Amino acid sequence: MEDEIYVPEVDPYNIGRREFVTVSGKAGLTTMIAGAIGLNIGMVKVATADPETPQVQPFTFAIISDSHLYSIPDHKFDGILADSVDKVNSIRPTPDFVIYCGDIAQNGRQDQLEKGRKILSKLTMPIHFIPGEHDWYLDLGVVWRGMFGSQHWSFDHKGVHFIGLTSILVRDFWTPAHMSPVERMTAMEMLESPIAGPWGIREEGLDFLKKDVKNLRGDQPVVIFTHGPLWDYYPRWNFQTEDAPEVRQILSKFRHVMSFHGHVHQTIFNKIGNMSSVGSLGTAWPWPYPNVKLAYPQSRMNRVDPANIEDGLGVQHIDLEKGFKGIWHGDPFDEDLLNPEMRSGLKV
Amino acid sequence: MTHEFVRRRALSGAALAVVVLGIATLQPVSARAPFTAAELAEQQAALLKAVDHGRDLWHGSLKSMSTNGLACGNCHPDAAAANPQTFPKYQSDLGRVAALRDMINWCISGPLGGKTLDPDSEDMVAMEAYATYLYRGTTMTPGLATAQTSPIVVIKSGTGYPRKGSGIGYDK
Repeated sequence: MEDEIYVPEVDPYNIGRREFVTVSGKAGLTTMIAGAIGLNIGMVKVATADPETPQVQPFTFAIISDSHLYSIPDHKFDGILADSVDKVNSIRPTPDFVIYCGDIAQNGRQDQLEKGRKILSKLTMPIHFIPGEHDWYLDLGVVWRGMFGSQHWSFDHKGVHFIGLTSILVRDFWTPAHMSPVERMTAMEMLESPIAGPWGIREEGLDFLKKDVKNLRGDQPVVIFTHGPLWDYYPRWNFQTEDAPEVRQILSKFRHVMSFHGHVHQTIFNKIGNMSSVGSLGTAWPWPYPNVKLAYPQSRMNRVDPANIEDGLGVQHIDLEKGFKGIWHGDPFDEDLLNPEMRSGLKV
Repeated sequence: MTHEFVRRRALSGAALAVVVLGIATLQPVSARAPFTAAELAEQQAALLKAVDHGRDLWHGSLKSMSTNGLACGNCHPDAAAANPQTFPKYQSDLGRVAALRDMINWCISGPLGGKTLDPDSEDMVAMEAYATYLYRGTTMTPGLATAQTSPIVVIKSGTGYPRKGSGIGYDK
């Protein structure tokens, strides 16, 4: 339901609803409108500029992820999410919008999702959501969709095409096992649970993606959001997306694609083909790095002090520049979290 | 040392060895045949039962261990970064050299806001059994871990040991 998506009454950065198109249940129609607006803006610029240069008007967006809110009143994670909202509101230049990369709730409960939405409503800019497995498996996304809209969406903003996909879909393990919704949710809550099997985007999401990018030019700047990484990082903890190869294939026609994800509760960078990929800091707890070799080990954050409840946590923002250059900036609660290379900004 | 001194030391050493051997031969025979396959299986089953119990505790089966809904597994999936092979070691949070059980109780009373386990309890042994079992084969290196996460020993898509279902998750 589009009405449910938070848009501030004051629009200080002149991001009206017409330019900043949010996609709701009427995804097809809205995407067409977004495409048309993007195309019109593009055509005006193309007439006077190098047609090979993507027409990005520089701007900033932020990412908040993995808040894992519990139903317990005044839980410590509520406060950390509120602090995260303050952090995003204080980023300069002010982000045009925020993407929430999944796992607002810990147990998929409506009260947890509502608590998250209430805390996030203090943001001074619009926010878009994709779900995590913790938001989804109590009722298979019924409450989430009612609250945050379509599970797959796209919009255009200042020359960039943004796509959000639901990537946490697993095969039905609960029906044959006669599991209750709570048992199903519990099985999904455990990171190393061997029951659920690998996550994926599945047919509906892949079809959405194919149609969504069908008419886009190869030099169109594209940014995609999923909960888990679109590469095989550590499948045992579902630090993967089973059909990521299909996603990368569909997006292979683009010169450059930036992928941002949640789920890993840590900074992590990778690049495969035309797709660069960055993991997000969470706001609940950090996760250790699995014992696997990394192509970019310098993207790892430092060891976390368990006595400091906000250590290892934070938000992040990305500056997009002309020519579709992106600089990722971590905004941790403890500045010492990032190594010097990451602290100065990561080129994505 | 003079030559004479060395010679006398060697003699007295030899005499002591004779005495010790003599005492040893007076003791009743305590050696026994190696454990049978059945006995070993029984012992392994008992260990895995403790590991199994530890895994459930690690994932929140004992409510008194937490007041905020968190369990050990939130931050330490597969006991990652628990690094049992590095204990005992100096823990800056405790200000002293601590055993794994001390750190487990620190996590329970701190981040989990729960009631600590009796260090001598079966529950604590089970917690240690779970963490240690996932790191089996790892070199013992008491002191600070240099790597954040040591390799764990697991089978391809399971917990690393056979078990029956508890409702939380199990190997098929």
